[in-house]
Amino acid sequence: MPVPDPFREGMARGWKTRDGSQLDSDLTLEADVVIVGSGAGGGTTAEILSAAGYRVLLIEEGPLRTSSDFRLLEDEAYSSLYQEGVGRMSKDGAISILQGRAVGGTTLVNWTSSFRTPAPTLEHWAREHAVAGHSEAQMAPWFEQMELRLGVAPWLIPPNANNEVIRTGCEKLGYSWHVIPRNVRGCWNLGYCGMGCPTNAKQSMLVTTIPATLEQGGELLYLTRARRLLISGDQVTGLECQAMDSRCVAPTGRTIMVKARHYVLSGGGINTPGLLLRSEAPDPHGRLGKRTFLHLVNFSAAQFPAAINPFYGAPQSIYSDHFQWKDGTSGPMGYKLEVPPLHPALAATIFASFGQTSAGHMAQLPNTHMMLALMRDGFHPDSPGGSVELRADGSPVLDYSLTPYVWDGLKRALHSMAEIQFAAGASAVMPLHSDAQYMTSLGQTRDRIDSLSLELYRTRLASAHVMGGCAMGENPQLAVTDSLGRHHQLGNVSVHDGSLFPTSIGANPQLSVYGLTAKLATELAARLKNP
Amino acid sequence: MPELRVEEVLLSRRGVLKVGLWASAFLTCAGLGASLSGCSPGSSASGFALLRSSDLTFLRALIPVMLAGSVGAPAVPGAADATLHQLDHNLAHLPPELLKLTRQLFDVLAMPVTRGPLTGVWGGWESASPEQIQDFLQRWQNSSLNLLRMGHGSLVQLVMMSWYERPESWAGCGYPGPPKI
Repeated sequence: MPVPDPFREGMARGWKTRDGSQLDSDLTLEADVVIVGSGAGGGTTAEILSAAGYRVLLIEEGPLRTSSDFRLLEDEAYSSLYQEGVGRMSKDGAISILQGRAVGGTTLVNWTSSFRTPAPTLEHWAREHAVAGHSEAQMAPWFEQMELRLGVAPWLIPPNANNEVIRTGCEKLGYSWHVIPRNVRGCWNLGYCGMGCPTNAKQSMLVTTIPATLEQGGELLYLTRARRLLISGDQVTGLECQAMDSRCVAPTGRTIMVKARHYVLSGGGINTPGLLLRSEAPDPHGRLGKRTFLHLVNFSAAQFPAAINPFYGAPQSIYSDHFQWKDGTSGPMGYKLEVPPLHPALAATIFASFGQTSAGHMAQLPNTHMMLALMRDGFHPDSPGGSVELRADGSPVLDYSLTPYVWDGLKRALHSMAEIQFAAGASAVMPLHSDAQYMTSLGQTRDRIDSLSLELYRTRLASAHVMGGCAMGENPQLAVTDSLGRHHQLGNVSVHDGSLFPTSIGANPQLSVYGLTAKLATELAARLKNP
Repeated sequence: MPELRVEEVLLSRRGVLKVGLWASAFLTCAGLGASLSGCSPGSSASGFALLRSSDLTFLRALIPVMLAGSVGAPAVPGAADATLHQLDHNLAHLPPELLKLTRQLFDVLAMPVTRGPLTGVWGGWESASPEQIQDFLQRWQNSSLNLLRMGHGSLVQLVMMSWYERPESWAGCGYPGPPKI
């Protein structure tokens, strides 16, 4: 029996959606609130504002793909559902950056891990970044609201073998581990969250807040790029958009002009600062695009005697924060340990080898375990993050430099991952670095890690969590917006996405974005009633 | 003592260390115009959305070396062809700025004036041996120029991702494919 596709059914019932690539003339649209970006921040904001009675227009740069389009194929998913056709990377090309770009944003393709913003992170923001009203107790109701909305609960089914390695290894070593809460309902445990959920079990924005918005009469415009805000004094007077072709590569030449009372920017890290930079938004203290964080990731591969089949089963279900806070919030860099799913193309790009070496690695894929470490960047003066810039054509790119402080964290993480993998029974471990091979003992691996030249390009680096760049805080000299996401210099502009975070989160950020933007959108709805 | 690399000599002699190599290669190409064979023709080859005939010459030499060992030798030509078409599809989804960089990389590899000194392959890609191609890749990976390291990384990622997106590769990596819904 085919899986129902509620989004297509809603469209058939008359939801207001428009495909920018199909426009045959220019368009002018009006709304109470226009929201740029349909991911975690935009979707959450759209639902809350439309439920409060406002006419909401959601603008999404990427295409609309729904469950019946998801065929669990890497080639289809990566080129259509990810930013820059999955080619997004840091300016120097040394860090691959995975971010979603489709209706639903990154929530369409993330691996469903759902954590509240850790209390030490919230305390650090209050203390160091003048963020007001975001204490653990003040945020708790918002997280609870969104957990209920999106079915967030610890994963009760046994973890797949890839995740089980973290549990087994940490148990043996006396390290802490926990079960990951996931935003799913009726999950089939397939393992293809990164290619779009074919069963609508993942409670992404595509199946939750966006349908709710459209049911309320809200409007969705996709394959449409927000090009620039038109600014007059301290007000935005319009938003100029470009219709994109069906591949989301080039503008078709059609433009869409949007007028609204309020403009909410929810394009996520890199894109939201990019839009404000293109718009030449006021930035008197030079904060825009600065302090962009990545949860920079490195990897350790391991061979196991028994099959791991790392391509099947819920991709992330066990994590360890053993090394996250042990040196305090702002000591040597802390990191979270998780695993990625390993489908062939993703695995091959992580290994980044070729010829016989690659063939050897890939032939062992069913017995391969991969672990990753997420660096908690932004909490220490030596971790200033990156800076968003514009390329010649106005597209944004992140310049992110690694300091010795970050390299130290990456090196310690390679040690931790190898230790846990061997403790869990690995027969061989390989830190992902151009000069490393599989090694069969922990001692040998530790020696190798200590002798590796940790440098760009030789060390495999990636990110799936772009945060910051429009930091919030009460001090306009440090922050782009106030603690409610209101732009410090523009009266009718708010930022509602992960670019608000003054540091990285220290956990996969989707629930942090949901909880934060639920709070901001609720307060915005109240403010709009009393102009 | 580190050996002085050809690319450093070449680049410092031209005084272009401060500008992007790709950009300078582009200018060279434009300046010498059509008199140089291998200069970017600009239009796609028949049967491809974006790849040009000069790209194909290089990639048809490179891809079999990168796929070696992942399929049996008799299957390599078919696998390489499938990879080439997948790569073309993927390039067709890159944003213009990234496509431009990729094409500049391909141009540097195609033009004799840059290919010889930068890759050590002097006689044309058609006649390059697998060992020469491996040497070139290793040289770029270990280059002191970040631009060449980046070029190495891009080539490996573009080709290996394209190959492992193809179902033809799955038997060689024990992947049964996605479940039926």
